[in-house]
Amino acid sequence: MDKSRTSVTSTPISSVSTRRIRRRSFRQSTRSHFGVASRLGLTPGQTTHRFNTSRKAPKPQNITEKVSPEHLALLVKTEWHLCYVTPLYRFRHTQLKSYARQLSAFIAAEKQQGLGVEVGGLQDTFKVSMSVLQGLAETNDDPETVLIQVQSRPAFARQDEPLKTVWSGWLSCINGNPEYLHSLPKDFTCLPLFGSRGLEGLSSLVKSWLRSTFDCFFGPLDINQTTLRWLAALWTNCHMESNIQHLKMQWTLPAAPPLHVAYTVNSGDALALWRSVRKSRGADEEACIEIEEVTSFMEGLTSHFYRHFGVDLSAGDLNQVSTALGSAKVKGRMKISSSRYLISTLSLLTECAFLKIPI
Amino acid sequence: MDDPAKFLLRRLVRRIPAQMLKATLEKWGRLNAEQRESLNFSQSKWALTQELEALCEESRLTVKHIAELEMIYITENPNQMMWHAFQLLDPEDGALAVELMQFKELFKCHLRELVRNVSVKIKKHTDEAVWIRMSWGEGFSRLSHLNATYVVHYLQTPYVFVSGLSPKNKPLLLQVLTLSTKHERIKDANLSGRKLTAIRDLLLRQYEHVFPTKYPSPLTERNQSVSNLHTEKEQAEASAKRHQMAGQAFGNGVLPALQSAVYKLETKFKDPTNQTMTEQDEPFRCVVKFSSTNLLESLRHCASSGIASTPVAPLLSSIPLKGRNYFVITDKSPSANS
Repeated sequence: MDKSRTSVTSTPISSVSTRRIRRRSFRQSTRSHFGVASRLGLTPGQTTHRFNTSRKAPKPQNITEKVSPEHLALLVKTEWHLCYVTPLYRFRHTQLKSYARQLSAFIAAEKQQGLGVEVGGLQDTFKVSMSVLQGLAETNDDPETVLIQVQSRPAFARQDEPLKTVWSGWLSCINGNPEYLHSLPKDFTCLPLFGSRGLEGLSSLVKSWLRSTFDCFFGPLDINQTTLRWLAALWTNCHMESNIQHLKMQWTLPAAPPLHVAYTVNSGDALALWRSVRKSRGADEEACIEIEEVTSFMEGLTSHFYRHFGVDLSAGDLNQVSTALGSAKVKGRMKISSSRYLISTLSLLTECAFLKIPI
Repeated sequence: MDDPAKFLLRRLVRRIPAQMLKATLEKWGRLNAEQRESLNFSQSKWALTQELEALCEESRLTVKHIAELEMIYITENPNQMMWHAFQLLDPEDGALAVELMQFKELFKCHLRELVRNVSVKIKKHTDEAVWIRMSWGEGFSRLSHLNATYVVHYLQTPYVFVSGLSPKNKPLLLQVLTLSTKHERIKDANLSGRKLTAIRDLLLRQYEHVFPTKYPSPLTERNQSVSNLHTEKEQAEASAKRHQMAGQAFGNGVLPALQSAVYKLETKFKDPTNQTMTEQDEPFRCVVKFSSTNLLESLRHCASSGIASTPVAPLLSSIPLKGRNYFVITDKSPSANS
């Protein structure tokens, strides 16, 4: 592993290209690589990038060598609220300290104006720290993940009391689409995935500062039904290596009043069903997983349900999928419980973020 | 007032919402009118608790009196605790004739035989229910009034509802109940929920039933489904049939507000399109939980709107039919599908 670390932390400089060329090369690559597109709910704007209809099964990776344990502890076992971000203009990984100072000043100024950040007394001091979360980037094109933390000390605490983290967030790009990354004009850094946790008021302040400083746009990353089904299938597939304990799905049916169904399947039986679906496609264990297999898997589960209750679950919406490896909710909230699958889950989410970016 | 009494009083004042506190204290009757007037109900609960404590000290009230207050509150508002239903079986000859005084005597007498360290208060509520509050003590230690068990029994019915019972005391209480109601056995009815009124109405079948008829719509106004002019003509008959079957399975009008149902399924996976799974001998284990603010109404709406297929699946219609909301389904049990 001879990659010089310094070149990765600087923002990647891509070759100069006009927008027209980018769009043409984009379309050509999509046609040759991704095959038949699967229909998705909302694919806004002009990206012709389509969701992968096949992907490799995620292998558990021991990333404790690449990423420090403190950083890992920060990321896993917490529920993050996800957003997508358009590329940042003139963002430099080397100027993080100065950005942190600017953000602290911004938060203090907004509080003085009285904009709502209710954290117990008015004299709370906020300290912002921004750092690079080394080790998550998968390819040479991925910019390094940036971690933002807001810490505060309550108004009447002593000076030596430790600061408490009241908000944390990160900007990340894992296994980003290389064509897109290469086609970005100079000065743009693409970190499309934004996760946040903590006070809602602070989230909006941080976002508005990022928006005004780097001319980017934030939007909600709703994890749609297809992605939830992919996650259900992928996590079940992981049961071969790591125990998922159970596969729990939560549906809501449009009755009056709304009916919630929590369907929890024993992990061994879910894996048996998954294996039977893959075998029938004639695929071996190492090959890619196709969307048809995911669909058959879900159909098997819903038809078992139908045989007992006469209720068709596809009449409702799948709201949440959870296993011991993590949970995903349709409103864009995600929790990763195992560090071994952190990279693969973040890659999937990066892909979802790329889809939603309107340019 | 000693510490347990103070603690119980504090917890009770925290629990009772401000607007009900005045009425509950009045019903309690342990404080005279003058004392009640002196309380300022608009201040914070903490300050109110201090005032109440002072008044109770004045009147030399003990923990037993505070327990009375708790019982009055719970009797009026039973829908906040988790209730479990039990069914009494094999009544003896005199079972139907057991009335209140006899039940009280038998209960206290049998309880004394089995347990020494317990305090019991029995009261009859206006709607024919007998309420029992029990505080248990560990061995020879003092009684703990904080985790009281509440029992509700409607005389001459075979149902008992219990809340706050620890596994240790369960066999004792069940035995006492069986003996004092003159039955042979008692079993778990597999029905539980937060709303006592709902599970009571379900078991005692106090809601509007619909009976199967040969001519389903004698009154055409009854079967008004959601009207959409374009589909009405085509769908009218199918829709009326769905409504009729949904009503038969669950009932008409307002249904008891049951909130959840749990099914533990251990049946085999049978799917003609998936030979591999069908050939397996082991059952496909899963747990399904339905929940809603009013489960029975949601299910009825699913059946009448077509989300659930009609005739309603036996697993779903067993909830009101058998009056239970916890099921374990295996291939051998008669209620499993094919």
